[in-house]
Amino acid sequence: MLDLKKEDIAAILTRYNVAMEKAVTPDEAAKQLFPKDELFKAVAAAIYAGEEDDVIAALDACMKAGKDPIKLIDDALLPGMAVVSKLYDQGIIFLPNVMMSADAMLEGIDYCKTKTKEVPKAKGLVVCHVAEGDVHDIGKTIVAALLRADGFDVIDLGRDVPVNEVVEAVVKNKPLMVTGTALMTTTMYAFKEVNDKLVEKGIKIPFACGGGAVNQDFVETYSLGVYGEDAAVAPKFANFILKNGSEVSKLRTEFHTH
Amino acid sequence: MTVTRYTKMAYANADEMIFGKAKFPVKAGLGLEIGAGLTIPELNYAPRPQAGVSKEALVKEYERITRDAMGRIVQIGAPAVCLESEHVQQMSNNPSWGAAVAHAQKTIMEEFHDEYGVKCALRHTIGDIREDRDFLALRAKQNTTMLEAFDQCAAQGADLLSIETMGGKEVFDYAIIRDDTAGILFGIGVLGTSDMEFVWQNIVDIAKKNKVVAAGDTDCAQANTAMFIAGGLLDKNLAHTTAIVARCISAARTLAAYESGATGPGKDCGYENTIIKSIAGIPITQEGKTSTCAHSDVMGNLTMQVCDMWSNESVEYHGEFGGTTVQCWVESLAYDCSLMNTAIKTGNEKILRDLLTLSDKYRDPQGYVLAYDNAFRVGEAIAKNGNDTYLRSKAAAETCCAILDEGVKSGKLLLTKFELNALDAVKKDLAKLPAEKAKFVDQCLAKYNAEVPVFEFSKNYVL
Repeated sequence: MLDLKKEDIAAILTRYNVAMEKAVTPDEAAKQLFPKDELFKAVAAAIYAGEEDDVIAALDACMKAGKDPIKLIDDALLPGMAVVSKLYDQGIIFLPNVMMSADAMLEGIDYCKTKTKEVPKAKGLVVCHVAEGDVHDIGKTIVAALLRADGFDVIDLGRDVPVNEVVEAVVKNKPLMVTGTALMTTTMYAFKEVNDKLVEKGIKIPFACGGGAVNQDFVETYSLGVYGEDAAVAPKFANFILKNGSEVSKLRTEFHTH
Repeated sequence: MTVTRYTKMAYANADEMIFGKAKFPVKAGLGLEIGAGLTIPELNYAPRPQAGVSKEALVKEYERITRDAMGRIVQIGAPAVCLESEHVQQMSNNPSWGAAVAHAQKTIMEEFHDEYGVKCALRHTIGDIREDRDFLALRAKQNTTMLEAFDQCAAQGADLLSIETMGGKEVFDYAIIRDDTAGILFGIGVLGTSDMEFVWQNIVDIAKKNKVVAAGDTDCAQANTAMFIAGGLLDKNLAHTTAIVARCISAARTLAAYESGATGPGKDCGYENTIIKSIAGIPITQEGKTSTCAHSDVMGNLTMQVCDMWSNESVEYHGEFGGTTVQCWVESLAYDCSLMNTAIKTGNEKILRDLLTLSDKYRDPQGYVLAYDNAFRVGEAIAKNGNDTYLRSKAAAETCCAILDEGVKSGKLLLTKFELNALDAVKKDLAKLPAEKAKFVDQCLAKYNAEVPVFEFSKNYVL
């Protein structure tokens, strides 16, 4: 078959990901971000590695040194996960690393809970769902994991969730935000129904929507809609709300890029 | 119907493979012959959401779509077309709806065929509705409804029957976002293949009864999920090297349709189809630069290399400056096919094929492995281990890794450190896998029964 000379390939295409790759390795970058405290550093390193057993061992070491189990969530586990999130945001590590780290961190939180009767306080609550009629839920799974990894509590309603069930969950749990994902144009119209029923009840929380065929133009057709281009923006939305309030127009100004 | 494994290649070498020509052409519909020497545009579309409110509204929408598309084909002088209706859920959950749509479409196509002589066929892709809300229900009552939808659509005018089966997706979804090579292989190569055999033997029987074509499947639910998550060059969600390993495994899975008696054409979004064609010799539909209306990929020209029908994946029906979307996209497809067919008739088809391949071959590891010369090698690895669905999936993954290594060594395929590390991790994972299917299945069942809450093995699979 025909082939290109090596020196001619660059005239046809540019591998921007190779050209732009950072010189620093993920391990080197992570080490620079780990906490200085040796005990907390061990927790962070175990989360970064996604090693659940090592997270538990590091937490045991912290508790043996007299650290409070509940405080360890805020002082060791979430900062450890923040290292991973930061590396992901910087494009140094990829999503599977984040997912494995999130699994390890959540295991750590569950472990801390078993060591005390105190109940940890999350940064806030988010309700997640996949649109009615839609069973494609991998995007929602990623959204929920990234939110939990950032310290938010998540009520995951699953996939193919009836409109009324979403509305009831919001009314009952009073989240700071509700998320909806859909792959298909045929199912994303359920978001409008959710929006209208929430508005009818006087609820004005941001309704973050994204996935497959969903686009910014569509999401802007309903009053609570905020468009998320990928799953990674979900915790950014939630943190923005904590800091700036839940006004939809502010979120749109900040995050709508098209 | 029995399952007959492929253990030999349909083609003696990669260079024999060409667009518009398949070893085993398929006749369908109104004078259409697919893979018999010319490429054919295959248009795919989706009704506007509000059209789904009633059976009557949906039928009307498909009538508009069909008339628009067929009209544009005549207006630009294209000799042949295939239309693909991917069912919205109402059409498969209510088989009479899908059948009414098929009947309405075919009636219009017959008018155009009778009046203008346009060769045409209608593909209906029935939705895989075999699920309850949070769980797959592959062998439950939904399976009966789905098969009824196939039967009624075939009886009412669908010439080509297809589906995008979802077997194994619950394990795959868990595994792909955790870089879990064994889970990817188990979900696609073992569970997916097994489910396809279960489904496709029934579809083949229905096709025979109705004297239509059992066409083919695609690993949309899994390998396309990997490709979609992997995204473009700058996306950070999945290494493209991992995505192409999943794709190669998917070829070992999608082959099961043809082993169960399907004859092609394979479905458009099966980017594994070049590998399938090399093994089975069936005609294939592909999509690429003309499916940007539905999604982006990094091999828009390359996928055309050995296609028999050329598709746009899907576009919602609505107006554009140049007409309705179906008019615009069927025109683009038809002109692409015109170019390929001109190449065939002037004896330049291999040159055009190679130009299409080369323009994307080094753009991304996915395109590099799917380039027809490399895809052929993946096909050989599958065929060599054809009798064991686990071993052939594993061999496809291993060969994919070897091809990538060679590309890197040549200095022509440039990978990021991340992609190289991911590739290295996959190779190490593969090296640790057992040599026997039974042992692999035991290991996977122990792991995924414990870790994947929505995995209900005994209800859904018989291995």
